[in-house]
Amino acid sequence: MFQVNRIYPYIFYLSLVIYLLSIFYGLFLTPEDFVQGNSYRIIYLHVPASFISQSLYLAMAVASGVYLIWKVKLSVYLVRSIAPIGAITTFIALVSGSIWGIPTWGTWWVWDARIVSTLILFIMYLGLISLHDSFNNYEKADKFLSILVLVGSVNIPIIKMSVEWWSTLHQPASITLSEKPAIDLVMLYPLFGSIIGFAGLVVCLVILSSKLQILKREKNKSWVHDYV
Amino acid sequence: MTMYKAQFNTIAEAFLMQSQNGQNHGIYVWSVFLIVALCISIAFIFYKQKIKSIAKKIK
Repeated sequence: MFQVNRIYPYIFYLSLVIYLLSIFYGLFLTPEDFVQGNSYRIIYLHVPASFISQSLYLAMAVASGVYLIWKVKLSVYLVRSIAPIGAITTFIALVSGSIWGIPTWGTWWVWDARIVSTLILFIMYLGLISLHDSFNNYEKADKFLSILVLVGSVNIPIIKMSVEWWSTLHQPASITLSEKPAIDLVMLYPLFGSIIGFAGLVVCLVILSSKLQILKREKNKSWVHDYV
Repeated sequence: MTMYKAQFNTIAEAFLMQSQNGQNHGIYVWSVFLIVALCISIAFIFYKQKIKSIAKKIK
């Protein structure tokens, strides 16, 4: 915790600068999209949130596995800390996508595979938080939380592949590992910047959330008293 | 093509973000920007406050 406290301001300010510069670049300097017009600029806010919301769930799944196999207490603290941040980023992804849908699709909501699976992810985050908080016994709560996170991780490949498996209104991925990006480099650079900057800010939120979780759960330990 | 060409000449143009089809998309883009900024700021403030209050209780 002491080490993290030391690097926290560097991560925070660096991420904030990268994020704001990328957003500025994306909103004011990149050219208008031929098909979508200026509404496409929402990509610089929507894609980072959407990408991070799924990445956070994967991180939770890995931490849950570590807890169930090796009983590392810190990993389950991390799972519980990530859940609310994941809910926030998924909420941003859903709302920004809905707003983007109005000028692009002519509607703010469709029961499309990508959108529904992302809505399920949001409900899962909320459900995991409620489930953990409903237990009086922390040990039981941690175990159930970890198992449910692992079960729910099946939704992540479904979100990712939904645009390939089903005929959806949502466009396919513009950036893949195997193919040339479908978007121009002038638009791509600020997109990468906004993803990196947003990820850094989310890491800072996870650090704060983990700190809160550790203080709550370890409040009776002597080292916590020395720390505060 | 230069990578640093400003797309809007005035603040009003940047606010409206009129596309070539004549539609103003600024309302959508700026609404999303505001929602993202609010969510992130509120989350930071919430956690900072919560940590402060629990640290006070532990003391």
